Amino acid sequence: MRAILILTLKDLRRRLADPAGLLLNLAIPLVMGAMMYLAFGGRGGDTNAAPVLRILVLDLDQGPVARAITGASGNPEAARRLDMRLVQSREEGLRRLREEEFAALLVLPEGFSKALLDRRQVELELLKNPAQTVMPIVAQQITEVLSLYLSIGARIVGDDGARIRVLFEGEGWTDAAGIAALITSLRDRVIDMRDLLFPPLIEVEKTSAKKDTGGFDLIAWLFPGMVMMGLLFTSVSQMGDLLRESQQGTLRRQLTAPLGAAQVVMAKVLSVAIVVAIAFCLLVAAGRLAFRIHWGALGPLAATGALVVLAATGFAALLFSLVRTERQGDALGGILTMLMSLLGGTFFPIEALPAWMEPLSKLMLSRWGHGALRILAEGGGWEAVSGHLAVLAGIALVCTALGVAFLGRRHLRGAL
Amino acid sequence: MTANDGKGPPLRVGEVRFSYGKTRAVDGVSFEVAAGEIFGLLGPNGAGKTTTISMISGLLTPESGQVLIFGGEASGASGAARARMGVVPQEVALYDELSAAENLRFWGQLYGLRGAALQDAVRQALGLVGLTDRRNEKVGKLSGGLKRRLNLAVGLVHGPALLLLDEPTVGIDPQARLHILEVVRDQAKAGCAVLYTSHYLEEAEQICDRLAIVDHGRVLAAGTVAELRRLVGEGPVVQLRGEVDADRLKALAGRCPGVGLLSCADGTASFSARDAAACSGLVRELFQAGLKLEDLRVQEPNLQSLFLKLTGRELRD
Ligand SMILES: Nc1ncnc2c1ncn2[C@@H]1O[C@H](COP(=O)(O)OP(=O)(O)OP(=O)(O)O)[C@@H](O)[C@H]1O
Ligand SMILES: [Mg+2]
Repeated sequence: MRAILILTLKDLRRRLADPAGLLLNLAIPLVMGAMMYLAFGGRGGDTNAAPVLRILVLDLDQGPVARAITGASGNPEAARRLDMRLVQSREEGLRRLREEEFAALLVLPEGFSKALLDRRQVELELLKNPAQTVMPIVAQQITEVLSLYLSIGARIVGDDGARIRVLFEGEGWTDAAGIAALITSLRDRVIDMRDLLFPPLIEVEKTSAKKDTGGFDLIAWLFPGMVMMGLLFTSVSQMGDLLRESQQGTLRRQLTAPLGAAQVVMAKVLSVAIVVAIAFCLLVAAGRLAFRIHWGALGPLAATGALVVLAATGFAALLFSLVRTERQGDALGGILTMLMSLLGGTFFPIEALPAWMEPLSKLMLSRWGHGALRILAEGGGWEAVSGHLAVLAGIALVCTALGVAFLGRRHLRGAL
Repeated sequence: MTANDGKGPPLRVGEVRFSYGKTRAVDGVSFEVAAGEIFGLLGPNGAGKTTTISMISGLLTPESGQVLIFGGEASGASGAARARMGVVPQEVALYDELSAAENLRFWGQLYGLRGAALQDAVRQALGLVGLTDRRNEKVGKLSGGLKRRLNLAVGLVHGPALLLLDEPTVGIDPQARLHILEVVRDQAKAGCAVLYTSHYLEEAEQICDRLAIVDHGRVLAAGTVAELRRLVGEGPVVQLRGEVDADRLKALAGRCPGVGLLSCADGTASFSARDAAACSGLVRELFQAGLKLEDLRVQEPNLQSLFLKLTGRELRD
């Protein structure tokens, strides 16, 4: 027990000596939150007045993927917020973009579906209306998220696991640079939050139900998702320290001291959990002070916090028990965090996802994490949040147990 | 808790073997280190020195053979053996974000030191390696040589009775190297058993009481420096560089009484001579043979020539 304490304190001392990394991870969701706050001018707002995204689509592809995209406007939920019109030619598209009030013109290039399914690189072209300010940015965001979905989807579809195995075995994907670029651009975009505006897709039902109490509190809905993303980024970057220590030889040196591999691994998990817990406290405080989010009674908040922190830490432990290098961990952690955020409903309500994604969404740690926090922010107590907490506890337990076990085994085999 | 009566020698390594996959790194190495003794493992890159040390420190489990530390098994959960051992790894394994003193404090704590004893031990270790003035500087800001010294100090901080040093002087200027050798010698004088690996001959000759020459995971020869020198022969060693041909040189050596060909490869060759007379006979023959020589030198027998004799290769990296 004393050894675990010594090891953990050592890590915390090292973090304090160099807090820049931690602050950077926290800055991302804080800046996102701040930007949203500025964009929406604080709480409330009548969502019925939320603007409709009007977009023109030029479908040069005529393939299955493009048809699926253009068919999206058929969804009645989406139709209320999305006005999608097909045009026949680039000239017609540009003319209508100028003359009518469309936000952007999306061009699906020839051979788009085929290229995507062959996993070749494809480009979507988006022409924004310079006369408008906000909506073209929204269109751009949606397009980018859409392209992320599509490329991830294409990877998963075309994949039989071999490629993922290659990644784990250290040779990397052949387009590792592309993945890294994707992650970097995603992170940059996240920081560049001015652009991330998804109001048109915000849940409609809830809004009308709450209308008489002053309208839907967008920031209280969005911020928990930011918290969750911030915690995941933080836990991944902190857990990378294990492989850093392995590389610099201090991990091996610890094992020549009179302590066991289990203690070393547990201490690392504990120190990551503590840092993530500090991150949680900072984010919750920021939500309260900057956005006037009421998190409710301390008990449920503390329980939610503890479980969310453990789940994020367990996720990172499991992740790093499977990768060989810190860079692989960071890259894969970034992909998974974004994927969990997207599928878990961080940016738009789960109801806006296609129905077949719903069960997939339930597997996402993010969904339960920000779900619980949203309940608290909406005034829910123990009872309302207990279901989410149970799921979080299960995820935390399974991930942490597997992560510690795998890491310990790798350690004993001398692979760390 | 097998036979850990504390009565055995500090370190006894018996016929240990280890392979990385198909690479046999250590192939039946045995030796013993007594208290107060500095035992050297001398060998070129890839000889298996680090692998041997890793088996002793418990990082690797030997495939076969046994490591006994003070009579007790090295591997195993007890950790009692490891607590009396100080390990200085070949790479600098320190925390750059922490100061020199903080590093020492952390490693000292891991070995069970606390309170005033810890403070004393840290102060002493800093003094030993001459880092007292820089104790509060972040390790990341120290020069490579200073980091090496701290790396050594970390292995000493808890006052081990058995010290494993894996090439502790690599990349250090001559003066600092002398200082480190001094520290190691003092530890031995104080009763510590020291295992010292190196591929520097001069160093091994300087500080080791006994040593083993290893190559390809095997001990080629072992003994005191004097004993090993005797293996080469008492007489001088003649080394030459130029156009050399093994058959021709062998025939040439055969014509000189008291001369043997030690090695011949890559444009260099060396002979051992029984005495000065045999040596001058050899040199005369060499010039008469009209060989194209770039360099010829006569040396006192040393480990270098022993290594040549044993392996036919130079002990250089
Ligand atoms: N982790 C490893 N995986 C595979 N092979 C290894 C590993 N470590 C060492 N080896 C191989 O085992 C052999 C012995 O290596 P070892 O590091 O013990 O040599 P050494 O004497 O310490 O060399 P050096 O002077 O370069 O430090 C070498 O052939 C080396 O390539
Ligand atoms: Mg080595």
